[in-house]
Amino acid sequence: MLPTAASTQGKADEHITLSLVTEQDALVRGKQLWIGIRFDLQVGWHTYWTNPGDSGEPPRIEWQLPTGFRVGDIQWPHPVRLPLASLADYGYEHQVLLMAAVRTPEGLREGESTKISAQVHYLVCHDVCIPGQKQLELSLPVKMSAAFSPDRPLFVATRQKLPRPMPRNWKISAISTADEFVVNLKADKLAKPVQFFPLHVEQIENAAPQHSTEVPGRLRLHLKKSEHLRKPIAHLEGVIVLASGDAYLLRIPVAQPRKAHTQSKN
Amino acid sequence: MKHNQWWNLVAVFLLISSCHAVKVGDSAPDFEAMDSNGRVHKLSQYHGKFVVLEWHNNGCPYTQKHYESGNMQHLQKEWTSKGVVWLTVISSAPGEQGYVSAQQENDYMSKMKASPTAALLDPKGDVGKLYSAKTTPHMFVVNPAGVLIYDGAIDSKATTEQADIPTAKNYVSQALEESMAGRPVSTPTSRPYGCSVKYAH
Repeated sequence: MLPTAASTQGKADEHITLSLVTEQDALVRGKQLWIGIRFDLQVGWHTYWTNPGDSGEPPRIEWQLPTGFRVGDIQWPHPVRLPLASLADYGYEHQVLLMAAVRTPEGLREGESTKISAQVHYLVCHDVCIPGQKQLELSLPVKMSAAFSPDRPLFVATRQKLPRPMPRNWKISAISTADEFVVNLKADKLAKPVQFFPLHVEQIENAAPQHSTEVPGRLRLHLKKSEHLRKPIAHLEGVIVLASGDAYLLRIPVAQPRKAHTQSKN
Repeated sequence: MKHNQWWNLVAVFLLISSCHAVKVGDSAPDFEAMDSNGRVHKLSQYHGKFVVLEWHNNGCPYTQKHYESGNMQHLQKEWTSKGVVWLTVISSAPGEQGYVSAQQENDYMSKMKASPTAALLDPKGDVGKLYSAKTTPHMFVVNPAGVLIYDGAIDSKATTEQADIPTAKNYVSQALEESMAGRPVSTPTSRPYGCSVKYAH
């Protein structure tokens, strides 16, 4: 008799707790409010970044807000690398907050309250994976001004993990070789080692070690190309995480192999 | 001493060859594996036929999506009736999710009404690693000349929800249809989606 999936793994919500949280305790007409889904994971379990890596699936959040409200994109904190045998995934362990900015409409009236809901689809994994979904909602009063909610510290801490735009004094480019992208980063005082997380799937080999070589004031990072990458890419997009924990969003122009030049000369 | 050095060389060679992943357009590497009825299958014995390789783990929610909906069984029936060889491959290591004995696999197939040409048992993960199979499902298509023509996901919707199957583009059927019609495969690779293959740690 085969054990069923349910009896060996249990349900997703035995390993993860989801909560809908806000940074402020009230809605204010025409003002921005930060909302988010907090994932609290059991030790040993993880969920996924926007690019999940070799397996898995990122959480999907469908915000349900009254007419006139606008929700921005999910702000993804930088992930950690989750090695699994010969594969590597990108995701989160312990706790993560996926936040988004909400713009309230001008027609909002003080004294009323507004219901905010979200439907979340997610995958939680240990050695095995369990899909789950959760409907969350909360009600917020509309006021003249708002104070911080008890969840404010989590929003502050999470912002530290959001990739920032690349510092202006950095210079970055990459060369595409037969089987690698060799990234050249000119920057002062880099906290090493660094890790690169690609924003898009199937561009680099997730499980391959990322070798770096150093020349003063310069870092050269070797990223193995994905076997599935069949066309040249003009830009390699991703997040670089320094040993200090600082994360930056990179859009790296990729120079194509020399072969192309030789051909164009003929 | 000499002996040791020789073994190191062998180890290095194995490491290099195992890192060299299969590529669409290259010939599909040959392998030998035993099925759930004790029969040995070699990929090369199917030269002249299309072969589909389907990585499988019956405890994985992505595999369950395609079996509980009947989608995988439907594909197996449709394509084997057209002369395609369909090999389900199970690379879960003993003690890991999806590992099954031959009897358990036969029980599962009859319960699910699955009809691949054979279910190959690969508990050491040799075939899986040879093909760099990453997920369950992870699909490969080999043409009659023995060339790999598809490597990737089963379809275009990377979720665990059965409701997504009817509106997803099935890349395996697409590769087979196009190739049988003498056309190039329009999507020769895609990111396979699913649970990681449960290889031995």
